[in-house]
Amino acid sequence: MARSRAQLSDIGESRVAWAGHLRHLAMGILKPSAAVGLALLIGAGVIWAMGEDPIFAYQTLFNGAFKGAGNFVATLQYTTPLLFTGLAVSFAFRAGVANIGVEGQMLFGALAAGIVGYTISAPHFLHVALAMIAAAVAGAVWAFIPAILRARLGVNELVVCLMLNPIALLLTGYFSSYPLKAPGPTNKTYDILASAQLQQFTNSAQLNTGFILALVLLAVFWVIENRTGKGYEWKLVGQNPLFARYGGIGVQKSIIGAFLVSGMVAGLAGAEQVLGVYRAFYNGFSPGYGFDGIAVAMLAKNSPIGVAFAALLLGALNSGGIVMQMMTSVTRDLVKMLEAVIILLLAADFAITSFKARRKVAKAGTAGKSIGGGQA
Amino acid sequence: MNEILNLGLITAIIRVSTPLVFAALGGLLTFKAGILNIAMDGFMLVAAFLGILTAYFTGNLAWAVFAAVLGSVIMAILFGYFNLKFKADIFIAGIAVGMLASGLTAVLLQGALGQTGVFASSKIPRFSQIQIPFIDGIPILSQLFSGYSILVYLAFLFTPVVSLAMSRTKWGLRVRAVGENPDSAASVGIDVFKIKMETVILSGFFCGLGGAYLSLDYVSLFSRDMTADRGLIALAAIFFAQGNPVTTIAVTVLFGIAQALAVRLQQSVGIAPQIVQVIPYFVTMIALIAVGFQTVHHRKYQQVIE
Amino acid sequence: MVNSVEMRGIVKKFGTLAANNNVDFSAGKGEVHALVGENGAGKTTLMNILYGVIAPDEGSIQIDDRKVHIGNPAVAIGLGIGMVHQHFKLVPSLSVAENIVLGSEPGSRGFFDRLAAMRQVAELADRFALAIDPMATVQDLPVGLQQRVEILKMLYREAKILILDEPTAVLTPQETEELFRTVRNLTSDGKTVIFITHKLNEVMKVSDRVSVMRAGRMVATLNTSEISAAQLAEKMVGRSVLFQVQKQPSEPKEVLLEVKDLRVMSNRGLEAVRGVSLQVRAGEIVGLAGVQGNGQDELVEVLAGLRRSTAGDVLLRGSSSKDFNPRQVREAGVAYIPSDRIKVGLSLDAAIWENMLLGYHATREFNRGGLLDVGKATSFARELISRFDIRGAQVGAPVKSLSGGNQQKVVLAREFSHGRRVIIADQPSRGVDIGAIEFIHKQLVAMRDRGCGVFLISADLDEIFSLSDRILVIFHGEIMGELAARDATVEEVGRLMAGVNRRGGDVIG
Repeated sequence: MARSRAQLSDIGESRVAWAGHLRHLAMGILKPSAAVGLALLIGAGVIWAMGEDPIFAYQTLFNGAFKGAGNFVATLQYTTPLLFTGLAVSFAFRAGVANIGVEGQMLFGALAAGIVGYTISAPHFLHVALAMIAAAVAGAVWAFIPAILRARLGVNELVVCLMLNPIALLLTGYFSSYPLKAPGPTNKTYDILASAQLQQFTNSAQLNTGFILALVLLAVFWVIENRTGKGYEWKLVGQNPLFARYGGIGVQKSIIGAFLVSGMVAGLAGAEQVLGVYRAFYNGFSPGYGFDGIAVAMLAKNSPIGVAFAALLLGALNSGGIVMQMMTSVTRDLVKMLEAVIILLLAADFAITSFKARRKVAKAGTAGKSIGGGQA
Repeated sequence: MNEILNLGLITAIIRVSTPLVFAALGGLLTFKAGILNIAMDGFMLVAAFLGILTAYFTGNLAWAVFAAVLGSVIMAILFGYFNLKFKADIFIAGIAVGMLASGLTAVLLQGALGQTGVFASSKIPRFSQIQIPFIDGIPILSQLFSGYSILVYLAFLFTPVVSLAMSRTKWGLRVRAVGENPDSAASVGIDVFKIKMETVILSGFFCGLGGAYLSLDYVSLFSRDMTADRGLIALAAIFFAQGNPVTTIAVTVLFGIAQALAVRLQQSVGIAPQIVQVIPYFVTMIALIAVGFQTVHHRKYQQVIE
Repeated sequence: MVNSVEMRGIVKKFGTLAANNNVDFSAGKGEVHALVGENGAGKTTLMNILYGVIAPDEGSIQIDDRKVHIGNPAVAIGLGIGMVHQHFKLVPSLSVAENIVLGSEPGSRGFFDRLAAMRQVAELADRFALAIDPMATVQDLPVGLQQRVEILKMLYREAKILILDEPTAVLTPQETEELFRTVRNLTSDGKTVIFITHKLNEVMKVSDRVSVMRAGRMVATLNTSEISAAQLAEKMVGRSVLFQVQKQPSEPKEVLLEVKDLRVMSNRGLEAVRGVSLQVRAGEIVGLAGVQGNGQDELVEVLAGLRRSTAGDVLLRGSSSKDFNPRQVREAGVAYIPSDRIKVGLSLDAAIWENMLLGYHATREFNRGGLLDVGKATSFARELISRFDIRGAQVGAPVKSLSGGNQQKVVLAREFSHGRRVIIADQPSRGVDIGAIEFIHKQLVAMRDRGCGVFLISADLDEIFSLSDRILVIFHGEIMGELAARDATVEEVGRLMAGVNRRGGDVIG
């Protein structure tokens, strides 16, 4: 009797739960889509103000991103670094760590990969692996600075990252312009050896095996985040550190760990660019992939699957933007602008504000009561 | 040695420091109100662009400065609203506003002026050099302190004004209270949002002047991302001075000296410019660590385990 | 007597919870009116309504016999109401004078006249005999003087009605004495002081009248001279038995948990636990009664590994667990139900199965070489859901989708699985519905019968009496006495909770 009742209620519950899941999923897609849509609309306004036809501009952008194999390969090429940096940022955000220093970590990873790429000689796979490891380690070392400062001294990691990004840019710039500079007019290190190169798929674009690696990494991180004890700990620390501590999770260790892993992924972003695209470390090669990673992570709602789609979206905008720039007077910088609008819109709380404010008052009421007990 | 240390160096320092001082003044006000304004580079960039654009089309510097300040203030209001009203994280909002300014100015550079990297034109008027009446004619003094544009003098004149406004006015007292303990300010009837928004708008105003100086006076051209992290460096100076106005400006000028020297040292001794440029950030890191140690020391009773 | 404050029929609901349920309250001109009640009784809500922080759903307020509508604190200030919050609202780096005049500063044309501010503050301090240096920086002052700044801030705004929210919670005994003198001075000047507290000896000492609140209702308003502290304690915690858990007499066996001479500091650096010793044996429920804020929180946090003790020892089954971290405590077989399930006991955004897994996610059972056996974890969660009858629970849904009572069952289910022997239950039925309370109580008794030692901390005497086999009473960080539950009376426990020992002598707190 009791059993059948339980079964009955189970069916009812699962129906309710499914509706909940669907709604959750719909909301998860709806808000980013609305942000992207609104950004495109604002962009259209700017294009129109410049005396161009927004529809035509967007059409060329879309065709430039997806029409034809060549364009699509280029889109994937621009997607690749965003897969890495988006993953680095989203992984950190999920673990409650605001790593906005991915740009700097990526630069050091790139420099390390570049150095290992020409200083040692080794068989192809080993050489690539060593360069990658060096990049990951370099990224992690640079990420360790904000990690340890937050964990031990309580220094806001955002401020530290903010300062470390230009420091990384200047220091890698120094190394590639002075002590490690290859002869010639450009500020770059020596070209890496052929054995350290990531294979490019076509002659026309620089899409390389790093793209495959990024996809594998996303899958690995999906497993780490959803199917491992560590991933579970990181998630809980990100959601509620007090709960995690009560459950016996070392919160400080978890924060440092998450920073290091995020830094490693950021370092790999740099390795892909150096080993696969540029074949040397060029001073200032990054147009801000680390910052794009923030937009990717916010669109992706911090899930690896979301990162794949969000990176593809921004990659397509970047790649299509180049074509649009050739066909119209609208430059690809429009994409940067769109990205900024998307970040702003996703970071904000609009319609919910009034509701939240009401809830806050209610909360203050209950909080007031618990404060009433106070500490002796 | 004489090519490095001469009167020209002082002039260079003053000119290099001016945009930093403007940014520092704006950043100080928001800092005091408890807002970490990392969007100042964005404000200045928009100002620099609109300054050049307006000067090019109207040939009138007053209009150009006005447009620059207006654009910067609009960016500031955008930043302030998203952070204060829509509760966007201040770092994310700051980074986004910076990206927006960078993208927008680059798009408009092509759209309105037909250039992709740099725009300069002989149609853009130059600021007249102001000769200070009393010291004009005195050999060294006039060389040092006379003959800059109005904006340079404004930067240094606004410094005591901001400092006094902070310490001697009711508004300044309220800003400090809002920044340190908004609850306390609200409990005595102070409108916290209004005070914070006022400082953000004023930071837009100062960054507007700073941006106008950069494009219209310092180099007389616009180039992409030309603020070169000056907003961030100003913020670093504020951090290092822990918000004291006089110290902040002093540190700003020190950073200016480092920059001015960097150019000369590179030319004559061959020291890498990056090494000098990295100083402000590096110094700020040290200040952050020092403050961190202090707070840890104060927290001895909060038994944080692990 | 003239009433300066009169509140009638105040109703305030947060969701389904009535924080204030048709409350009447009045305070006369020139009197010290104590407002007492347990946490959650609704006294802070009532005062926040009076101060305009919270808008009431129903009811009216009269100040000096004039009906008023208090929409925000600024209106309250204008009406001469001032509130000194438990957490001071001061700006640490500003001077005493600047803090006091902030918001209505002297000076003209926008300039702030610092000298005038200092002079006015000095005069004010003089008039009310509240000695203070107007130039001192607030962060350098001891807590007692900071509170004085808060009071002066209200007086500067010409407050006639002062609300002091738990003003002695942070004070030393000497500072408390000074505060009482100040309060007397103020009332002799014609001011009304409303004194929120749950320290009963203070009520006896300083107030003219006292109002007692319980569970959102006003229980009584009395002249202080006509009631004893013990009677007051009884009124505060009430005794409205709704149901009685069926249980056999206990058969205590070996000692599972032993606390020896434990001393613990609070966050503020004061000694909160002052030499507590106690034992919990297998097969018994030991109840710790006491008014909140008497060191229970700190004691429990040490037992749970969340705080370090300064002296003494904690033994689990005979071996020391001093300085264990939460994981070690858990591995030693301790189950802990924290008093705040939302902040500590659960992660509301995480799935139910994830909340049930906490603490076991690294064990061989669910974790093989770092990989989580999600299938096993969810089927384990499913089993707990049916065993603990958690209604409306879908393993994959976030915990926040459940009602309060069912959320608490998730905590219980997790903590009571895996053969833990020692159970620390801190306010296990706070904020849950009656059905859930009954279920939780039955579970605690069932765990006892299975041979666990249960240490129950509760400010609710009903809960203490219906569950405990032995009752300990804590007051001011010390155990005041131990009683066998079957001979204990509410009066006796109430006396001990008020700091009055068996012989009837008053203990100064």
